[in-house]
Amino acid sequence: MENKRIIGVFDSEAQLVSAIGQVQENHIRINEIYTPYPVMKAIDAMGKRSIFTFAAFLYGLFSALAILAFLYYTSVVDWPLNFGGKPSSAFPSFIVITIVLTIFMVTILSLLTFSVRAKIWPGKAYVLPDARSTDDKFIMVIDRTEADKAEKPLETLLKDAGASEVYEKEVEEENVF
Amino acid sequence: MYDREIRGPLVTGNKTFGQVTTDIIQPLEQKTPLWWKAVFGISILASLWGFYAIYITVSQGIGTWGVNNAVGWGWAIINFVWWIGIGHAGTAFSIFLLILRQKWRTSINRAAEAMTVVAVGCAALFPALHMGRVWLAFFIIPYPNTRGPLWVNYNSPLFWDFIAISAYLLISLSFWYFGMVPDFASIRDRAKSKVKKMVYGLLAFGWTGSTREWLRYEGLSYVLGGIAAVLVVSVHSIVSTDFAVSVIPGWHTTIFPPYFVIGAIFSGFAMVMTLMIIIRKLYHLQDYITNAHLNAISKILIFISLIMGTAYATEVFMAWYSGNEYEIFTFFHNRITGEYTFQFWAMVVCNAIIPQLLWSKKIRKNLTIVFIISLIINVGMWYERFNIVITSLANDYLPSSWAPYSPTWVEIGTYVGTLGLFAIGVLLFFRYIPMVAIHEVKSVMNAGNDEHKHS
Repeated sequence: MENKRIIGVFDSEAQLVSAIGQVQENHIRINEIYTPYPVMKAIDAMGKRSIFTFAAFLYGLFSALAILAFLYYTSVVDWPLNFGGKPSSAFPSFIVITIVLTIFMVTILSLLTFSVRAKIWPGKAYVLPDARSTDDKFIMVIDRTEADKAEKPLETLLKDAGASEVYEKEVEEENVF
Repeated sequence: MYDREIRGPLVTGNKTFGQVTTDIIQPLEQKTPLWWKAVFGISILASLWGFYAIYITVSQGIGTWGVNNAVGWGWAIINFVWWIGIGHAGTAFSIFLLILRQKWRTSINRAAEAMTVVAVGCAALFPALHMGRVWLAFFIIPYPNTRGPLWVNYNSPLFWDFIAISAYLLISLSFWYFGMVPDFASIRDRAKSKVKKMVYGLLAFGWTGSTREWLRYEGLSYVLGGIAAVLVVSVHSIVSTDFAVSVIPGWHTTIFPPYFVIGAIFSGFAMVMTLMIIIRKLYHLQDYITNAHLNAISKILIFISLIMGTAYATEVFMAWYSGNEYEIFTFFHNRITGEYTFQFWAMVVCNAIIPQLLWSKKIRKNLTIVFIISLIINVGMWYERFNIVITSLANDYLPSSWAPYSPTWVEIGTYVGTLGLFAIGVLLFFRYIPMVAIHEVKSVMNAGNDEHKHS
């Protein structure tokens, strides 16, 4: 398997963003971008979209319905208690606890979703092409095979776009599942 | 949009990204300072006393406390509400300011969140102890059982409280922890010793900072932020309904939920201010926690102080306007004048009057005075809870059942113990965790300035 990658190292977000534009103009596929903080333009450039918030909404909706059903079952069907003659099916007093329990459920489900989708968990074996990306560098990783698509050599293209360093490296494909 | 021209830079000292990492991680790489060891030692002693007091409570029962038939809720509930209030700072900072896109939160949110986690932990201790037989605490967990009433009472604010605080602890812990994951990765990748690399590597969950991770990370932050904002309002509203749904004079009032929530945020911000002044002084983080940050917190404190003053005045006005003799007695003859005058006026002076000094720019710039004011607010907020809990209970409808209350050493010891535990938590945080969110600070260094330069 071809694991050779071209690594472009940038010093600033602005340089990275301008380089992304130029690389894409040449129809070169970027393998991955590593940044010290979230750079929205880099995320957009990778063509990634997340339906995280929508998923969380669904978690909330279904949790709330399930909790209301549970409250109804326990308080009305299974074991109704007489609190001073008040009705067992006391919907208004179920609202607060439903909200709080829904938040509880959404939190747990969101954390699980995050762990699965972002593929991070304790003790995970990770592949970090250039460790400086968690400090002060912005790293762009491109497959060696993509280099031929550019009109000029990829190294020159990245350098012209503002890369402070360009080098080639074998990077293992991350295999987590 | 953050305007740098008007509000000044968020990070001073023309830092590069590399310098930011170095500056913030530095305290973790240095030798443990002497003052740290000294304060840690004192905190351990305080918490040991606390544990002894807890041991006495658990082994001998609530009879070791000063509570009686009239004053069933003593220091334990005062301290519970006080700690929960302080615990609201993390949420206030991280979440409200995140949702409002306030970029200046980035230097402060980490410490505020750490404080929240420790404070909520301290708070949770009190209702558990107040149960008397703490080993039966699992009775509150809703599951089919054979104890009598098959399920717990879902209509009770006390049960809501249990769920709300559990959810609050979970959400603030996860918000805090996942906020640190990218920073743990930074420490891991700089670490020279193998042990450190392994420990922080484990804590970093294999974080690399790829776009795949950041995309979901942003998603998680906003989801947790959004729901926690609802939670922070509901947690303290529920705490207040523990009081407000009763028929005790001074408690049975609809102003309680907003009054409690605002009060909680007030004490939380005050505690953040206290902590921030200490952190920036001891760890030389003046470039990250700038005067502008402290100035902003001061302004928020004035604003909330005005709301607190209004709430106090509203309570007194409503007591008079209602014409209810018990309410009038509680407010006019039991708080403003009478047996508990000192506590009432301490509350008003500390929370509503002294913070008004912060209107003066000169005072806001004098960090010693600001520090003292922040401490005074926390004392004032403790008195507020004393006022609510004790004055109403000690002298209610029947003069024949009136009973004075004073805490025993067991209650005082438990409180001092939680102060010790809080200090231990905060000190461990100082020592082993980056006190400022490194990646978040890096992301706002350019705020309002397109020509940000770094090498």
